[in-house]
Amino acid sequence: MTKQLKNTPAISRKDALKKIGNYGKYTALTAIGTYLILNPQKAQASSVPTAAGTGF
Amino acid sequence: MKKKTNLLYKTVEDNTIVWLGTGNEYLVLEHTTADILKEISKGATVNEIAKTLSKKLAVPIEASIGFVLELETKFYKEKNSEKIEIANNHKNTKRPKDFEFIKYYKINDIIFKVSFLSEKELSFVHPKFAHLVIDEVIDFTNDFEVFINNNYIFLYVNNRFIGSWDNSNIHYFQGKFSMELIQKIHQKEENDWLGVFHASAISNGEKSMLFLGDSGNGKSTSLALLQANGFTCLADDFVPVDAQKQEVYSFPAAISIKKSSLETLLPIYPELETSAEYNFKRLNKIVRYLKPNNNDFFAHLPCTNLVFIKYEKDSKLSCKEISKIDAFQQLVPDSWLSSKKENAQLFLDWFESLKCHQLTYSNNEKMIATVTQLFDNEV
Repeated sequence: MTKQLKNTPAISRKDALKKIGNYGKYTALTAIGTYLILNPQKAQASSVPTAAGTGF
Repeated sequence: MKKKTNLLYKTVEDNTIVWLGTGNEYLVLEHTTADILKEISKGATVNEIAKTLSKKLAVPIEASIGFVLELETKFYKEKNSEKIEIANNHKNTKRPKDFEFIKYYKINDIIFKVSFLSEKELSFVHPKFAHLVIDEVIDFTNDFEVFINNNYIFLYVNNRFIGSWDNSNIHYFQGKFSMELIQKIHQKEENDWLGVFHASAISNGEKSMLFLGDSGNGKSTSLALLQANGFTCLADDFVPVDAQKQEVYSFPAAISIKKSSLETLLPIYPELETSAEYNFKRLNKIVRYLKPNNNDFFAHLPCTNLVFIKYEKDSKLSCKEISKIDAFQQLVPDSWLSSKKENAQLFLDWFESLKCHQLTYSNNEKMIATVTQLFDNEV
């Protein structure tokens, strides 16, 4: 299995498809063990920027 | 092996997308790997699966067993379901009696009274909805309260506690406020929605399409340009899609226009010259708000396309169909998607039906012409 990609849309699919050593010599397994994991937002969010300053 | 049925599968191009009910996650897998997951869920043993795999791929049985076991561990072992609580439970906090700002917003024929404890609370919500304000009325349909107490911002709707969020989760407070608003406008509960997308939605009166892209790529600017050229703005930034018909619903918030877009838009929207400017230092953004041209906030239309838009100075216009897997990968992490299994299935089916394009432009007229062609299925 290969590395997970979590909520990092800025990384291209190509970057996410890294191979890991375990099945290195069995390229067929390495190929089918390449995957992406995508997590939607846990709640509805707005991208409306918040007002200045820190804390309320 | 333990049977597990809380999975959904959808073949998209050369991959299978698998939805994992535990955690509401989407995996993009090779078909063979997805088939192994299916076998596991049917109750097949590791040895059985590994034997078939070993033959199929001409690899030693030991390696296949290792592979299947690893797959099972990754996706089948019950995950520690760490539920991330974004909203806190502070039900017992005393609600203030006096609110400094009380605003009345009219959306179609529905009136929302929103009470803000101070200017601070007002600043988190009001600018996007200021164009909907009406004079004080006695009869209103919904009563929202927003106040900060002990470094948490609270939301009550019709005397019901909705949630409280700390300062770092203010975008979730805003998201929930918008969600409550849209639910009240359309008389729907959270489970009636497929998802909410971080996009701009435009329509030609018959159907709609979503414009997506990272902040700064020109979603809102192109939306403003398009609404000045015969299209309707259905929603900006917060785009709800319902579960029943998978249609894009209009959302009444104003379009946020960055300072860098003013030069382009002022000739079309002179009102932007005098509209209030909001300086969001934390995000290094200065924005003004532009009223959407939609006047029917009950509108909802089927969606046909996802357009990943990008304004690139001096670029030649390019509009090409992109891989749906790439589109999926960009879409999902930026969206709220219902965790209800039926809705996840509907989302996968809906996504399958969409056409996905990447549109890069620098010339506004050409961009508008291309969007027109996309609506007319001429691209």
